[in-house]
Amino acid sequence: MDISIRIAGAAGQGMQTAAEVLGRTLARAGLHAFIHQDIESRIRGGINFSQVRAGSAPVFAPTDRVDVLLAFTPESLRAFAAQAASGGLVFAAAPVQDVSAQPVHLGDIARAAGNEKTVSTVAAAIAACLLGVDEARMAEVLERRFSGAVLEANRKALSLSYEALRAQGLEGRFRLETFEKAPEGRLFVSGAQAAALGALAGGCTFMAAYPMSPATGIMAQLAELTHECGLWVEQAEDEIAAINMVAGASYAGARAMTATSGGGFALMTEGVSLLGMIESPAVIVVAQRPGPATGLPTRTAQGDLRLVLHAGHGQFARVILAPRTIAEAFEVTARAFDLAERFQIPAFVLTDQLLQDGQSIVEEWPIPPVRRCVLSGEEAERLEHYERYALTENGISPMALPGASRHLVVVDSDEHDTAGHLTEDAALSRAMAEKRLRKMATLAAEAPLPECTQHDPALPLVIAWGSSAPAVAEAIAMLAAEAGRPVCNLLQFVQLWPLPDLSRIPAFASASRRIVVEHGVGDGLAGLIAQTQIVRVDAAIGKLDGRPFTVEELAQRIRKEVFHG
Amino acid sequence: MADVTLEHYKNDVERAWCPGCGNFGILNLLQKTLVSLGLPPQRVLLCSGIGQAPKIVHYLQANAFDGLHGRELASAQAAKMVADDLTVIVHAGDGGAYGEGGNHFLHAMRRNVDVTFVVHDNHIYGLTKGQASPTTEQGQKVAVHPDGVTALPMNPLALAISQSCSFVAQIIPSRPDHFQQVLSEAIRHPGFSYVNVLQPCVSWDFIHTYQYYQKHCYVLDETHDPYNQQQALSVALAADGRIPLGILYRNDRPALRPREVPGVGDLRACPDRAPRLQRVFDRFR
Repeated sequence: MDISIRIAGAAGQGMQTAAEVLGRTLARAGLHAFIHQDIESRIRGGINFSQVRAGSAPVFAPTDRVDVLLAFTPESLRAFAAQAASGGLVFAAAPVQDVSAQPVHLGDIARAAGNEKTVSTVAAAIAACLLGVDEARMAEVLERRFSGAVLEANRKALSLSYEALRAQGLEGRFRLETFEKAPEGRLFVSGAQAAALGALAGGCTFMAAYPMSPATGIMAQLAELTHECGLWVEQAEDEIAAINMVAGASYAGARAMTATSGGGFALMTEGVSLLGMIESPAVIVVAQRPGPATGLPTRTAQGDLRLVLHAGHGQFARVILAPRTIAEAFEVTARAFDLAERFQIPAFVLTDQLLQDGQSIVEEWPIPPVRRCVLSGEEAERLEHYERYALTENGISPMALPGASRHLVVVDSDEHDTAGHLTEDAALSRAMAEKRLRKMATLAAEAPLPECTQHDPALPLVIAWGSSAPAVAEAIAMLAAEAGRPVCNLLQFVQLWPLPDLSRIPAFASASRRIVVEHGVGDGLAGLIAQTQIVRVDAAIGKLDGRPFTVEELAQRIRKEVFHG
Repeated sequence: MADVTLEHYKNDVERAWCPGCGNFGILNLLQKTLVSLGLPPQRVLLCSGIGQAPKIVHYLQANAFDGLHGRELASAQAAKMVADDLTVIVHAGDGGAYGEGGNHFLHAMRRNVDVTFVVHDNHIYGLTKGQASPTTEQGQKVAVHPDGVTALPMNPLALAISQSCSFVAQIIPSRPDHFQQVLSEAIRHPGFSYVNVLQPCVSWDFIHTYQYYQKHCYVLDETHDPYNQQQALSVALAADGRIPLGILYRNDRPALRPREVPGVGDLRACPDRAPRLQRVFDRFR
């Protein structure tokens, strides 16, 4: 059971604040939530919304359904009132001609609370009251967020909202049962925050980046934790500086990262190639949005897989990971740091606006210790000779740090000898290139098999990755429930490069149809599978409007491909 | 380690410069300067990009990061932020420093990380065979500009002084004692220090020869106060055909040292973050 609440208005009116207060309240009440942001690229005005999907059990994907609409402006009310499902409830800031809404007005309550800005709390409180959540849970959230007179006004807004709904007999109208134990281990985080915390768990000590939506949340969160967690965040003058700073910091011994979106990443391309040549580890988060060029800056897409895969001239090893959920963004980002250092490669984390700006209630993550793969000063000191690019069987040369021992560490973007000095020698150039290519083979041999359902392998196979995978999974579950039997198998990728031999998966090898879902024109994973596995992909379900896939939309489109393809 | 001598800095990597190139003199004086400062090669990190000048980092024994054209400053600043105990010196040509990497130069001056930026300014693109650089004279006939360069040359010294760059100097290897004295001062300066080195190009530029510099250069004397920004700017902008040598400008604003920021510490250490992250998690409840 889940309830979908859309909080809509003009940019800057506090819809995101309302959603956040509601989300934190639901976490405390032992409920679950998935929030996504539908926002325009502006600071004031327009029509934006935050949509909170609240559930008794975990929820991971956007829905088309609107059970409760809370509209801060007449424009947003008119835009979405019809979408409020039959049996849904509509609340407005003030009465609007020709649109019917509940006789409880957000603006009136906020004014009665003595501060019009409390409208965010009013919206959150109305939603919480409809869901049957104890008022005290939201009071705790407000106490942590506000203080002084502002806290008093918000407390008043909360109690007035609950009173108004009780007077209308609406308290608990959409009551959600809680099956949960005491929820102390739960956190309410955005995808950007989860990635930032994952970076810290992965040992990140240096970040250089240039602000760009929707990636900026990661750098903002890390900068806020500078003193508490012991790292440095440098705002670079441009993305070119950012990636070259990451290379310098990594060479010097930091676990280093950057985060950007497609356009900024395009500027980093030469630096990615530098990382490949000098074999310095780095984590690069690419938070996708629709392109080409500036595209839709505040909206979502999965169109940059090929850009990330092919970025950088020359051949070198890389790994590409794409978390599916906010919870997974933590673990995947931490893992990226390990892979980057173990293989001395750029490790990419491919996210998108839906994931970055989305918020969810997650179980607190375990924090495993960081295992460094660089030589300590003592280890390096014990070596009689040291060469940064010593030829090894698996292509990985032991990495010492400059200044940490008596040995010098020399790296060069030119082709170089084993000591790091530039060379033109033919045999040596070939040996160095082969050493780097051996790393690609070592990495490919470790590529994990993706998760796949094990129903009849002759069923159609739906293939998904990244943030759209949860909506695909829910849509398929919906179709199976309708049919009373499994209608297809589902293959979900987290590691997108290198790919393993998928013929080892019966449901892949024997599928009657292969259908790839990805948010974009469908030239990313679909083409990559066709190319690397030498199989036909029968259909690609894509999306070009920058809005996230919803469960209902995917159920309809997958049904068409599975039954009528 | 025993006393540092020139032997510690010598290596046998083949030099790929033109015979008679000004870079030989710069290499020789750089090694002598590092020895005079008593710095062992293990404590020195030389950063560079692409071109003739940047090759210098391979021709002496030290840690070296030879990265991308024009991006040497970005990598060097980050390396210094992380490895605060290293002496970081960046070598670039006028093309990399003022052309490809111009934006990084502007922002390195603002950021004030303690690295020394040595620009080998020969007013020409050497390795790509004689095209105009940002400091080539207007009207000079060079490759790709058969009718002469139309753009005005940049005045990087005036630019740096106007941006309150914390150390601005100009030197020439044909005055070796002065060169070493100023370069030592730049390396010791606790902030971003920028040194423009006048370097004749024997293959592509027949105007800016040693004779030319002999005739036009003068060394700033004690009447010049490097802490006086207006005076420094007048010297850098003077259109009298004379070329100043020495420390034009300096100030004492504090350098950016992340290591000294409360809670930050050594960025090479990967501390066990579990206890700290547990506390951070509490914010998200």
